[in-house]
Amino acid sequence: MSVRLRGTDSAIAIRWIPKYTTLERALHWVHTASFIPLVLTGFVLFAPWLQPVAQSEAGTHIRLIHRLAAVFFGGVPIVYTLLQPRRMLMNLREFLSFSKYDLLWLKGAIPYYVLGRHEDMPPQPRFNTGERLTAVVMVLGTVTFGITGLSMWFLKGIMPTWLYQVMVLFHDLMFIVTFAMFMVHFYLAVIHPMMWQSLVSMRYGVVSESYAREHHTMWYYGEKRAKEMWEQRHKGEEH
Amino acid sequence: MSTNANRYAMYIDASKCMACRGCQVACKQWNDNRGYIPGVRETQNIGSYENPLSLDPQTWTRIRFIEYDDPDRGLQWLFLKQGCMHCGEAACVEACPTGALKYGPNGIITYERELCNGCGYCSQFCPFGIPQLEVTNLVTGEAKSSKCFFCQDRTTNGLKPACVKTCPAGALDWGDREEMVTKAKARVDRLKNELGFPRANVYGETQLGGLGRLYVLTAPAEAYGLPADPKFPVMGTLWQKVVQPVGQAVFGLTVVGAIAAFFIARRNVHMEEVE
Repeated sequence: MSVRLRGTDSAIAIRWIPKYTTLERALHWVHTASFIPLVLTGFVLFAPWLQPVAQSEAGTHIRLIHRLAAVFFGGVPIVYTLLQPRRMLMNLREFLSFSKYDLLWLKGAIPYYVLGRHEDMPPQPRFNTGERLTAVVMVLGTVTFGITGLSMWFLKGIMPTWLYQVMVLFHDLMFIVTFAMFMVHFYLAVIHPMMWQSLVSMRYGVVSESYAREHHTMWYYGEKRAKEMWEQRHKGEEH
Repeated sequence: MSTNANRYAMYIDASKCMACRGCQVACKQWNDNRGYIPGVRETQNIGSYENPLSLDPQTWTRIRFIEYDDPDRGLQWLFLKQGCMHCGEAACVEACPTGALKYGPNGIITYERELCNGCGYCSQFCPFGIPQLEVTNLVTGEAKSSKCFFCQDRTTNGLKPACVKTCPAGALDWGDREEMVTKAKARVDRLKNELGFPRANVYGETQLGGLGRLYVLTAPAEAYGLPADPKFPVMGTLWQKVVQPVGQAVFGLTVVGAIAAFFIARRNVHMEEVE
């Protein structure tokens, strides 16, 4: 695809590399569209200063919206597993593979994202360390919310009260972890000046060749070649 | 926590109760609660006079029938008037996210049905399992909680609760909590020293900040199915006093951190270098 440069007759060609399937993008936005109402309605019972909204009919409706949204939120991984089981497994496997480059990535992340020092960033596969950590939390969150949420929904009065209390506590703890993570995810994907391509990829399913080369070297060059390039560059620096 | 000044309490003398269940009827009558509803709430014969089988959304007090083999007196039939304890430190009040349950006047744990959104946390955090949730729709979660509120409409107007008023055995009384404690202790003394109940005791004087129900029991609390040392649920404290404030702090810090990072990044990141 070529992009015409504003105010000139010149055009530059950009090679786009597919990153996500249509289903993955659709489910990502269903996930987002259900997570936000879940946060807003859950926060009503979480924060004491929102008590007026939790009361009476309003509270009953808030709880109903929470349940409705939860059905979609929980439906996402189920639909994904049913329709693209191989993609799901592939992603899951990628999420769970960490290496020494991830430690280097974590070390370089703050200078990189805050100060823009990108020279020191180690090679990364299709998902970088941060993305993979996010994904792991998301998987844990889905499981925790599924167990605790369904218990609180259907087993109240059936399960022992101490267990119910544990469910409430873990639901809240997981909310803190996932919502804090969501805010970081939102910041990096939507607000951060450098990361505009991640939003593009979640909309169109593709990233530019230059972006892939810069941010996901192992994915672009292959793992072996990317590692060699990294070692070579570092040898040069040491001498 | 409710203040101990001006606290009222219900005196319940289990040694005088004859399980006529007039209190159950009076409670339903005054509070307009239904008894028998064909197909929904029916009476069942379980081989005991105990009926209904438990507290329910329309039954805020009831008599438990317990057969107890007393080491001193042989087989005893114990009667326990169940209902909200109106704790000095009430887990339901802390757990309720709507403020429908409150520390009210005279130590009553008041309940405003209109404010209840049906979450049912009160029923799950009460150490005595008292609040009853009437679930009208399990899927949508539509529900209302209910429990005894010491006939607030009567007691704040100088009357006694309906159950106390009706008790023909004189087993129930209502008044200033200190007076009720004195009365209960005097009765226990008499039971022990004159009437041959060596293990008579007062229940509710100190538990959970002092209960609003003071029981005179002729056997240990456990024999009546009461927890000897009820505890404020640890999970409730952890949830309300630790997890929620920590969560709000985490959210606040994340937002502040992201805003700060954005402004620093905007100054330092040069797109032409990156792309």
